Amino acid sequence: MSVTAIDTADVRPRFTRRRSTRRAILIWSFLAPSLLIFLLYRILPLGWNLLLSFEAWSPLKPAVFIGFDNYQEMFWDDDVFWQALWNTLGIIASAPLGIAIALGLALLVNSDIRGRDVYRTLIFLSYPLMTVAVAIIWRWMFDERVGLINFVARSLHLADQPIPFLNSFTWALPCVIAANIWQMLGFYMIIILTGLQTIPGNLYEAAEIDGANSFRRFLRITLPLLRPSLFLCFVIGMLNSVTSFDLIYVMTNGGPGHATEILVTYIYKLAFNQTRFDYAAAITVVFFMLLLAVTWAANRLSGGNVGAVEHD
Amino acid sequence: MTRRQRRWPIHLALIAVCFVMLVPFYWVLKTSISGENIFSYPPSIVPRDPQPFYYVDVWYAIPFARYFLNSVVVSILTIVANVVLNAMAGYSLTQTFPGKQIVLMLFLSCMMIPFQATIIPAYLITGKLGLLDSYLGLALPMFSTIICIFVFKASFDAVPRSLIDAARVDGLSEWRIIWKVMMPLAKSAVATNVILSFIWSWNNFMWPLIATRSQDMQTLPLGLARFISYQEDTTGALYAFCIMVLAPGILLFLLAQKEFVQGLTTGATKG
Repeated sequence: MSVTAIDTADVRPRFTRRRSTRRAILIWSFLAPSLLIFLLYRILPLGWNLLLSFEAWSPLKPAVFIGFDNYQEMFWDDDVFWQALWNTLGIIASAPLGIAIALGLALLVNSDIRGRDVYRTLIFLSYPLMTVAVAIIWRWMFDERVGLINFVARSLHLADQPIPFLNSFTWALPCVIAANIWQMLGFYMIIILTGLQTIPGNLYEAAEIDGANSFRRFLRITLPLLRPSLFLCFVIGMLNSVTSFDLIYVMTNGGPGHATEILVTYIYKLAFNQTRFDYAAAITVVFFMLLLAVTWAANRLSGGNVGAVEHD
Repeated sequence: MTRRQRRWPIHLALIAVCFVMLVPFYWVLKTSISGENIFSYPPSIVPRDPQPFYYVDVWYAIPFARYFLNSVVVSILTIVANVVLNAMAGYSLTQTFPGKQIVLMLFLSCMMIPFQATIIPAYLITGKLGLLDSYLGLALPMFSTIICIFVFKASFDAVPRSLIDAARVDGLSEWRIIWKVMMPLAKSAVATNVILSFIWSWNNFMWPLIATRSQDMQTLPLGLARFISYQEDTTGALYAFCIMVLAPGILLFLLAQKEFVQGLTTGATKG
């Protein structure tokens, strides 16, 4: 439909004003398909979701407005929700651990050594892989009978009995977190590496002349200048790991009990296994608010640069 | 300079880390070709009596070809839509026009909405459109990605203004300017778009899980999850399947690592 407008665009309009209106329409028509996708699958769902959370509705029943009943059930009567919330917060809190390891790695692969590209590639390799396959790999690593981790632990006499990692209430969540860090590590490293490469080298030379040792140089130059990169890692890592539905669905499916249930897996189960769309929508609202709050806090701490776009 | 001495500790540390990163792959690969009972203890470190039969089993146990075809079709739809829509949107953002700030604000706020926070209405909307259980429905939510729009914008921004003006004076329409002038100069942005959208759609699990009903429409990740829920992990074929699914991703990544990393870092720092 926009094609006809474009084909006539090279007929010179008489007035610049008319030309600029036509140009604006043209540019908006270039944006339209993308905007439509985002409206349909980002903005509209957000509003619909909010509406749904105040209703009692299922696909076969008409919607009834029930105010805050869903929220009341969630906060006062639903232990699983609280468990899922705590687990979600636990996973968010684990992101800095991964970022700290990645910072160390980034410093190592940023040094002037032979084969650093090979190291970078190998460390990054796990990030673009299909998470479902990663989950199966780690299920196998943590396997109670012949998993490599149990095998090593038993060979080194760290454990007398095989540990049923993914069926244990204590171990299941840390195991999922470990698998998640393993997958995200390379991504964090690349982001931090990009940050490191923007730090001007002469800062270090000046500090060296002033007699600052390498630890002080790291503390006073590297760390402050990396702050935006580190918080960017945190925000992206948080979005990625909190939403790591695939990993948990395949590794433990929220079990044992609800030991590894996170908000997203709980929302999925409520909506698509129990057809409680209305209640799941209310939990989605809380989940989204939580992400916004953490992102906002990270943004403030980093000095407000995370996600900023260069305007011209 | 002290920087030049003592490199071996760095190498040692990095080799240890790479070992940790690679061992899980090896363990699965070993299981998938090992001829012994996969549950015999202690597990062997090198594959005993290597054999390819688990890979053959996969073909008989599940409709691998069908899953593969579905994944390929959905990925191709996603890639084509992403390149075309993102290029158009990215070009628009290099121009000045009324309402640009609103569009930028909208894009940035959309980036803060993870797909997982929209699944219920997304499912209902796709149902209303009649697209559940169809290729288009599987690909549609990923037709345009904001990170990739900014990748194109960054690349188009680098094209000299005078070149565009010259093209306009020659009477080229905006549409032609995008495809004849900008795109040939933005090859790496195109490559980045292709790779990122391929990886995202190839690996996508949650949306196909929600939006497909029949087995005929399931993609590879779903097939993998289905396999594990039906057969548990009692057969080495699961790990053979796992390797078969991972291989294309790993190969593509090794071939196009530069574009991939570039896309992620542009997306991450600019958007």
